[in-house]
Amino acid sequence: MAFTKNIKAFLNDTGDIAGFAGQFFSTGIKPRFEVLELLNQCYIIGYKSLPLIGLTGFIMGLVLTMQLRPSLVAYGVESQLPVMVGIAIVREIGPVITALIFAGKIASSIGAELGSMKVTEQIDAMEVSGTNPFKYLVATRTVATTLMLPVLTVLGDAIALFGAYIGVNIRSATSFYLFFIQVFRSLSFGDVLPAFFKTFFFGFAVGIVGCYKGYTSSKGTRGVGSSANSAVVLSSVVIFFIDLLAVQLTDLLGLN
Amino acid sequence: MANQTAGNIKLGAFVLSGLFVLILAFYLIGKNHNLFGSDFNIRVRFSNLNGLTVGNNVQFSGIQSGTVKKINMINDTTIEVTLSIDNKFTSYIHKNAVASIGTEGLMGNKIVNIVPSNLPSAQVTEDDLLIAQKKISTDEMLQTLSKTNNNVAVISEALKGTVLKVNGSTFMALLNDKNVSGNLLASLQNLNKASANAIKITNGIDDLIVGIKNGKGAAGVLLRDTIAAGNLQAAISSIRKASDNADSLTWQLNNLARTVNGHLNSGNGSLPMILKDSAFAKDLRATMYNLRQGTDGFNKNMEALKHNFLFRGYFKSQEKAQRKQQAVQSQ
Repeated sequence: MAFTKNIKAFLNDTGDIAGFAGQFFSTGIKPRFEVLELLNQCYIIGYKSLPLIGLTGFIMGLVLTMQLRPSLVAYGVESQLPVMVGIAIVREIGPVITALIFAGKIASSIGAELGSMKVTEQIDAMEVSGTNPFKYLVATRTVATTLMLPVLTVLGDAIALFGAYIGVNIRSATSFYLFFIQVFRSLSFGDVLPAFFKTFFFGFAVGIVGCYKGYTSSKGTRGVGSSANSAVVLSSVVIFFIDLLAVQLTDLLGLN
Repeated sequence: MANQTAGNIKLGAFVLSGLFVLILAFYLIGKNHNLFGSDFNIRVRFSNLNGLTVGNNVQFSGIQSGTVKKINMINDTTIEVTLSIDNKFTSYIHKNAVASIGTEGLMGNKIVNIVPSNLPSAQVTEDDLLIAQKKISTDEMLQTLSKTNNNVAVISEALKGTVLKVNGSTFMALLNDKNVSGNLLASLQNLNKASANAIKITNGIDDLIVGIKNGKGAAGVLLRDTIAAGNLQAAISSIRKASDNADSLTWQLNNLARTVNGHLNSGNGSLPMILKDSAFAKDLRATMYNLRQGTDGFNKNMEALKHNFLFRGYFKSQEKAQRKQQAVQSQ
């Protein structure tokens, strides 16, 4: 019985999120736009996330290189380490890890912010004052996450590749130019473009889930914490689902 | 407002840096795939591509020079590969260059290698067909290796039998015998002595040859003395003359013998009569008989004469003188 209830709750949530996303497309991206708020959100969501994304990306590249190294040495293809790390970072690890870190930072903050506004009835007050809260709060944040995550991913990949270069040079010596050439010689548009485009969907998922969880928050301050927490969890899960769909789609399109 | 502007500047820098990295990545990948810059197409026909696909790299003399643009199946044994080559390589690739399918590293992606030929030829032009070199595939190598392995197995089996036979043979017993080694050592010592003697003999011969060269001894005189050589030449000349005379004499004797033989055969003259006439032989025998009879009679007459008183004194004095001479000789 409980299982059925859970299923119903899950389906209800899914339907609500789909409706929320539909509302975003129906009303959120129509004029008039809240440009200043969008720029402000881009600054907060994008620029202020860069140090965290950069740090995690650097460590990720370094650690991945050091972890892959023994296996490649065992096969006698140590020279292929930049190629392996480059493809792994650009195709999968860079976008997904960046999106997860981004979800952890942004989805929670959006969920908590909108949730606290909801429970303190600021959103209702905004509506009364003639401002469309959906446009001002949800659309700007969702567009900001959708646009900023790809930029963050590209920069995060670059920093991760630099970390990988450091990782390669811990045990052996490779010039930066050779490392750079080796990485880009192995890459093709089929590696970069799908990875780049899926980050738009990751960003959109983080924004829409965070906003939905905050916008539909209830049960007082306790509900705010719950919204922040569930926003992170759900957006992370959605990121993995989108990743799964993306890999299937690129495979179908013959880009793999 | 100032905070807003500063935030926007930072945001702009952030977005631009992201776009810059993205565009740089696209440019580098595009450059590797010859998307920028002009290029030209050349074609190669292979029977087996061994996994070569569109987008794989093309190397000219080991330098990245282009990519595989198109793969077109002509028939069941011919596949045409169109290569997109960077224009700056046009002046270096000639029509007789050879293309083959290789691998980047040991297990890397397939690539097309274009190798120039040593012979002169015209420069390659758009849509030229290069010569393809058939690459030995791993399967073919393994098949050959399998045959080689079988041969090695047969050879090693035969070798094993041979080694076993050698091991059980008297030859190995001989090798293992300690006495043999002692004998061998002694033989070697003897050989050593013999070689020392040989050296002495050689030295002796050397001295002898030096002596001969210096004209010492009979051989030296014979070989080195010019006067002796002259004498020898004169002697040889005399011998030759003597030989000629002997030859002439022999010839004369031969003629004589031939004449005698002719006379004998013809029966003319006294000698053939003596040798061949049987009647004459009978007469001669009768004559000889009469002569012997006459001689016997004469002996008897002489004996009778000794006993005659007229001649007895003479014969007695002869006997006395003879006895006296014998007595003197015995003393």
